[in-house]
Amino acid sequence: MKVIKKEDLENFVDELIANNEKEVVGVKSKDSKYVFDKLENAEELELDYDVTILPPKKYFMPQRETLVEYETREGIEMEAVNEVVPRIIIGIHPYDLEAIKQMDKVFADSPEDDNYLEKREKSVLIGVNMKQISEWSFAGSMGTATIEDGYDLMLTDLGDRYAVEIGTSKGRELLERESLEMRDAEPEEVEEVENIEENIQNGFEKELDFSPQNLPWLLAENYGDEDFWEENAEDCYSCGTCNIVCPTCYCFDVQDFSDISLEEGERMRQWDGCMLEAFAEVAGGENFREERAERYRHRYMRKGRYLYNRFGDIACVGCGRCSSQCVPDIADPTDIFNKLWSDKDE
Amino acid sequence: MNKKDSPYLPENATILSVEKMAEREKLFEIELDSGEQLGHDPGQFVEVSVPGVGEAPISISSSPTKEGNSFELCIRKVGNVTNVIHNLKEGDKIGIRGPYGEGFPVEELRGHDVIFIAGGLGIAPLRSLINYSLDNREEFEDIKILYGCRKPCELLYEDEVEEWRDMNNIDYRETVDECPDDVCWEGNVGVITTLIPGIDIDLDNSYTVVCGPPIMYRFVLQELKEKKVPDERIYLSLERRMKCGVGKCGHCQINGEKEELYVCQDGPVFNYDNIKDFEEAL
Amino acid sequence: MKPEERPKAAFFDFAGCEGDQLQVANLEEKILDLLNIVELVSFREVMTEHSDDYDVAFIEGSITDSHAEERLKEIRNNADIVVAIGACATIGGINSIRNAQDFEKVQERVYGDEREHYEAWEKAKPAKAVVDVDYEVHGCPIDREEFLHVVQSIVMGREPNIPDYPVCVECKLNENVCAFERDEFCVGPVTRAGCDSCCVNEGTICWGCRGMIDNPNEEAHEEVLEEYGLTAEEVMKKFDLYFTWQKEAREDE
Ligand SMILES: Cc1cc2nc3c(=O)[nH]c(=O)nc-3n(C[C@H](O)[C@H](O)[C@H](O)COP(=O)(O)OP(=O)(O)OC[C@H]3O[C@@H](n4cnc5c(N)ncnc54)[C@H](O)[C@@H]3O)c2cc1C
Ligand code: SF4
Ligand code: SF4
Ligand code: SF4
Ligand code: SF4
Ligand code: SF4
Ligand code: FES
Repeated sequence: MKVIKKEDLENFVDELIANNEKEVVGVKSKDSKYVFDKLENAEELELDYDVTILPPKKYFMPQRETLVEYETREGIEMEAVNEVVPRIIIGIHPYDLEAIKQMDKVFADSPEDDNYLEKREKSVLIGVNMKQISEWSFAGSMGTATIEDGYDLMLTDLGDRYAVEIGTSKGRELLERESLEMRDAEPEEVEEVENIEENIQNGFEKELDFSPQNLPWLLAENYGDEDFWEENAEDCYSCGTCNIVCPTCYCFDVQDFSDISLEEGERMRQWDGCMLEAFAEVAGGENFREERAERYRHRYMRKGRYLYNRFGDIACVGCGRCSSQCVPDIADPTDIFNKLWSDKDE
Repeated sequence: MNKKDSPYLPENATILSVEKMAEREKLFEIELDSGEQLGHDPGQFVEVSVPGVGEAPISISSSPTKEGNSFELCIRKVGNVTNVIHNLKEGDKIGIRGPYGEGFPVEELRGHDVIFIAGGLGIAPLRSLINYSLDNREEFEDIKILYGCRKPCELLYEDEVEEWRDMNNIDYRETVDECPDDVCWEGNVGVITTLIPGIDIDLDNSYTVVCGPPIMYRFVLQELKEKKVPDERIYLSLERRMKCGVGKCGHCQINGEKEELYVCQDGPVFNYDNIKDFEEAL
Repeated sequence: MKPEERPKAAFFDFAGCEGDQLQVANLEEKILDLLNIVELVSFREVMTEHSDDYDVAFIEGSITDSHAEERLKEIRNNADIVVAIGACATIGGINSIRNAQDFEKVQERVYGDEREHYEAWEKAKPAKAVVDVDYEVHGCPIDREEFLHVVQSIVMGREPNIPDYPVCVECKLNENVCAFERDEFCVGPVTRAGCDSCCVNEGTICWGCRGMIDNPNEEAHEEVLEEYGLTAEEVMKKFDLYFTWQKEAREDE
């Protein structure tokens, strides 16, 4: 573990920005909220934040991205496209690092999705332990309040200094700069970081009343409880907000957009969400998840069960984005999961 | 990026011929511009692409035993992509990705009786297996084909059906839901399920392969149950919305209490025993 | 995908502000591109000629009297494809606010003492309430890019991508701070996306100019707005700005 003074970290970030080798992005404030965005200077960086509106997933799987370019003047010509911007991403919380680990599995599963993987490989992830905790977060219950790996560098705020844990050689290389003022951590500092990490566990207002390992069977058992799902989904707008802001949602739609010549254009993918009404609709009008309640249930099943079956992870990292951004306030996983848990013996 | 690395990049292909089979269906014979064979199994599908319009998953309707390098797709005109494909002519170019998915379990069927039950457009995917088994007739025991459509004019693959009617090494039966008075029709009139009671099924030695619109499955399965056909001896091909064909976009997923399946990778062909508990499957 | 001949296109205005045609006229350099794919035979904003020989008719404005109804029916007869552009033509638009108000008062306000001379309908109607409409370009005013996309799609013989999900989708893709987190009120959750949530991107709210999606959860949203502190009357006002005609049509179903 290393230690760096706060002003030296600022200098370091400014140097990375000036260096221009990779685009430097980090957490910035936007009105009363936070977002990941391109940094113009280190002063903009807010490492003391609760949660960002969208997760950093957008850097590996952008909201909209071109997969194929086509041209149809003579016959057809198609070419695969991947716009990769190498980036240094500063300020990722542990739950988002966990989500990125999960997404890596999804896109590395055969056949590999290079549009994601290449962007991911060319990025450097600099994590930061939470200082503020969103009132909606329950990462403590999901085992994602702190993390052992998944970052290239990990920062912990020690008042006037940051502790820097080096996770990978990519991280180490980034630190290999003559100008960088940094020293090895003292044993007390290592202990301080451990204490801070331990304390984070106790800082959550929301929690799951049980171990998340129970989610797969709990959800399976309640799949057929239609009244429960209908009751809870009654106010759902099918607006997809809970999908779009989620760091582990990855569904997408694909559409062609030609330019005005009508002879060339792009095939683009855009984030999609299983809460949207047409998600499972096919030509002729058949909709395999027609009811709001069916779609509502589907999202929870995905988070707590389906993806676990497929990839071995509970696909909710407890960031609380869905719950905080759902306007009718019906998307809180702890609310639903705890209700199911307390009803289970009835 | 290296072209081959993207699972989303189609290969160029050329339409060799187009045949109108019914009001809404056309048969397209297609060849990859690489000159290579598609290399599919019966029951698999491809993503057909019209640049500027989009992609649609379509079952490969020809058998891998078909001569030459080309393959056939039977496409019903129902929406955006399929409408535009219907306007294409011989010599026009399209894109193809695939073949994708799990097809019919040919190895498992070999050496057994096979009963094909097709409703409407369901004949399109089944035909790949029907023709495969007819081309390797000696490898299969009894073959029965039950084919139903709404009206006589909706019957697909008329020339081949004509041959099936005359073949004496298979048992071919057909039905239409209704027949207008001015049309000459010698087959049965009634829904497809009315054909099932009349056939002999050797329960220990046969497989039943079913393909048709969602509503048909429920009734056919009920009828097969009455005949005491074991669930694990029934195979079905399912249809879902698809955007990627390669297990990524999430659209084709079906859920049940126990498990989740992706129609594009785990299917489109499923053993009935494996999906019967899936509330969303049928 | 490019057809051999350019289809002939004509613009027609009914009760509206012509803001949508202005959007088209303001395509600037892109208008030349547009002319590469369609032939304009009638467009008051930029030309004086007029022709009744057209394939595609663009309708702006809502239908407010029987005179207009006849005229629209004739256009429908002449055209292969009818496209309604702008909120007035697609959902009755601002013109239909009065649908929910006392008609006499409206007439008095608009026409003063002369109101006897006009036989305006009690309710403003969108084009589709009078004739079959093939495509709609939503918005007040329309979005130029979306207009081009619809024209391109028509020329290519494909379906345009017009979303049937709420504005919230685009609003979240754009990473906006939600109006409800700024103590403001927004009808984005029931409004059809497609404008890239442009108003919220600018720091305001969605007023609903693209009309409601096909299957909105209006009951839920009315309740939620009240929970967030609006009075029932204020909620009505939010919904009546653009949704009057759609709400009535849904109730009639
Ligand atoms: C495994 C499989 C095999 C199929 N085989 C055939 C076949 O042999 N012949 C045939 O005519 N049709 C077949 N279909 C159905 C065919 O894919 C749809 O009719 C087609 O996608 C409709 O697209 P569209 O753009 O014309 O319609 P639109 O209604 O405009 O569809 C819009 C989009 O929705 C999706 N979509 C709509 N309907 C379906 C659907 N039924 N299945 C999957 N995605 C859909 C597609 O992504 C499409 O681009 C098959 C579908 C599947 C899943
Ligand atoms: S649960 Fe909430 S955020 Fe999710 S779709 Fe429904 S209303 Fe939107
Ligand atoms: S389901 Fe909600 S709380 Fe869980 S990871 Fe997704 S957005 Fe965060
Ligand atoms: S199915 Fe739904 S919950 Fe799952 S990844 Fe896709 S959008 Fe997210
Ligand atoms: S500001 Fe309006 S449109 Fe945007 S997310 Fe909030 S409610 Fe939806
Ligand atoms: S945000 Fe709302 S009011 Fe603004 S253009 Fe879009 S639909 Fe219209
Ligand atoms: S079609 Fe995309 S996951 Fe199956």
